[in-house]
Amino acid sequence: MKLIELYDVYKIYNEGYENEVRALDGVSLTIDRGEFVAIIGASGSGKSTLMNILGCLDVPTYGDYYLDGEYVGDLTDRQLSRIRNREIGFVFQGFNLISALNAYENVELPLIYLGVGASKRYGMTMAALERVGLEDRAEHKPSEMSGGQQQRVAIARAIATGANMIMADEPTGALDSKTGRQVLEILHGLNRDGTTIILITHDSQIAATANRIIRISDGRIIYDGAREAAGL
Amino acid sequence: MIKKITQAFKMAFKSIFSNKVRMVLTMLGIIIGITSVIVMVSVVQGQNKALKEYYESMGTNQINVYAWQGSGRDITMKLYDYCLGLDDLVLGVTPNGYAWSQNGIKYRTLSTNNNQEYGSPQISLGSDQFSVCNNFTIAKGRDISWLDVKNYKQVVVLGSKVAEYLFQYKNPIGETVNIGNYPFTVIGVYEAKGGSSDTSSLFGGYDIYGYMNYIAVVPYTVNRLLNGNQPIEQFTVKAASKEATNEVITKLDGFLSGLIDNKNGYYYIYSANQAIESSDAQNRMMSLVLGGIAGISLLVGGIGIMNIMLVTVSERTREIGIRKAIGGSRKSIILQFLIEAAVICLMGGLVGLMLGYAGTLIAGKLLLKTTLLPSVPLSLGAMGFSVLLGMIFGLYPAIKASGLQPVEALRAD
Ligand SMILES: Nc1ncnc2c1ncn2[C@@H]1O[C@H](COP(=O)(O)OP(=O)(O)OP(=O)(O)O)[C@@H](O)[C@H]1O
Ligand SMILES: [Mg+2]
Repeated sequence: MKLIELYDVYKIYNEGYENEVRALDGVSLTIDRGEFVAIIGASGSGKSTLMNILGCLDVPTYGDYYLDGEYVGDLTDRQLSRIRNREIGFVFQGFNLISALNAYENVELPLIYLGVGASKRYGMTMAALERVGLEDRAEHKPSEMSGGQQQRVAIARAIATGANMIMADEPTGALDSKTGRQVLEILHGLNRDGTTIILITHDSQIAATANRIIRISDGRIIYDGAREAAGL
Repeated sequence: MIKKITQAFKMAFKSIFSNKVRMVLTMLGIIIGITSVIVMVSVVQGQNKALKEYYESMGTNQINVYAWQGSGRDITMKLYDYCLGLDDLVLGVTPNGYAWSQNGIKYRTLSTNNNQEYGSPQISLGSDQFSVCNNFTIAKGRDISWLDVKNYKQVVVLGSKVAEYLFQYKNPIGETVNIGNYPFTVIGVYEAKGGSSDTSSLFGGYDIYGYMNYIAVVPYTVNRLLNGNQPIEQFTVKAASKEATNEVITKLDGFLSGLIDNKNGYYYIYSANQAIESSDAQNRMMSLVLGGIAGISLLVGGIGIMNIMLVTVSERTREIGIRKAIGGSRKSIILQFLIEAAVICLMGGLVGLMLGYAGTLIAGKLLLKTTLLPSVPLSLGAMGFSVLLGMIFGLYPAIKASGLQPVEALRAD
């Protein structure tokens, strides 16, 4: 069952100018439900650009993107925000928590946008925090938590609405290897429960835990296949 | 829809109260703007009002004449008779001269036979129409009569403060007071004069109403006694109406120009109506100045609001990126920011309004010695403007950033 279909997608900055950058230079790929995909490649190769487009955080310059069979280019702001709210959870390298809100409030936020009633919302928020083992840190502000804890809050936020797809852009990049492995373990747990995971990483050890590897260079896919053949 | 709005409210309040510093700083700009505008404009308005009240209590339709003849002859009788002839235009005429100190005699000191002394009252020389011309009313006893004037009667009508000072609770009528060495019989006491507000601040600390109550009026014919042969040079004519004032001025001008030789004398006619008119002009001038003051303080407050709002724009833009990434739609984000700005502005506005009222009351008591309150249009105007500014700058990041792709908003720095 195809979740993501990308056909000949380009992302070109400053097109036609001297400083033109082809962050994505004709990318096609499909991703099925339940996959655990690692996107690897050198810095500046276009990984984040690809993920942002897959996550509907950005739009391609050219090319077609079908998400769950729907043509993304035709979706309205409302529909897109609905998708980002329900279908996709994001985990960023820099956590991107709202610093003024505590852990609970950060995780609760997508549920408020979803329109979940107060009592149900509490249960769902706490469940998400428990899933990442942070139920006892609910009252803490991001500034009062370690990087690993903040990233786990971000994961809790990503899964709070029951999204079936998580996009993580170097989620362990700011963490030491031990906490990085903890975060990775949470993602694998989610994947075992059926969540599709798309993970960007520099770390070949982490990439090696994925079933499928996509390697990008200069905006093009130069390898897409099983972990075993990727030479990791 | 209602659900969306309550959500936006919830998020707005959460956002406001989890950023208390930002909230306070934003509110501060609004508070300063509103408070300063309200206080400053109210004080100037109050001052204008007091000034106008003062002129009105002086009596409109009052014409002051200053005239002297080179010959040194007294024109009082001539002017008096002339004005009586204008009786459909003129309500009264009186000298308005003072008794001066002469030959070391303290004519400006009143004393009773009990040696109660009162220094430097204004001893005015008046006709039987003095009180009409100067808007005095008799509280006790009687006024100066034509016979008193005609017969050089040594009688006196006291201002309320003078009577109070010299006689305390005793009835002064029939008592004797001495002006210098001359005994005068008290025949009446004037009603105290005073406006609704203290005008001393308007006249360099000089209590003008008080001054009007520190008066003692004697028939002008005793001038010979008190002032030697000094002619009386100041007069007050009370016209019958505002319209009559100008006509009377013209007539007086004609009369005096015939009476007084230009080369050998001088006269000058001045009406309190002109003073009121010029105070109206002054009011208009003041309104302009006020507009300037209001504009500047609103600008200062506005810049404060703008600064704090703009300082947080990139932080807020990133926040908008996050909100979009986790499912906030453009509309819901704008709505949240709108509510946030409105709540902060209204809270700041209310505090500013309260401080403005308190400040106006205090400034009114201190500067104008009156109970001064800001006018409603002023309060609403100041509040409306500050709130509008706050809303504009509060909404700015939302309008700017919510239309971006989430990733662009997330990149803001
Ligand atoms: N807004 C932009 N304007 C111009 N060029 C951009 C912009 N965003 C990205 N790029 C360029 O696009 C290319 C791909 O960037 P991208 O962030 O996708 O790389 P990446 O693979 O994620 O790198 P990293 O591993 O360092 O995160 C880079 O050359 C980058 O300079
Ligand atoms: Mg990147």
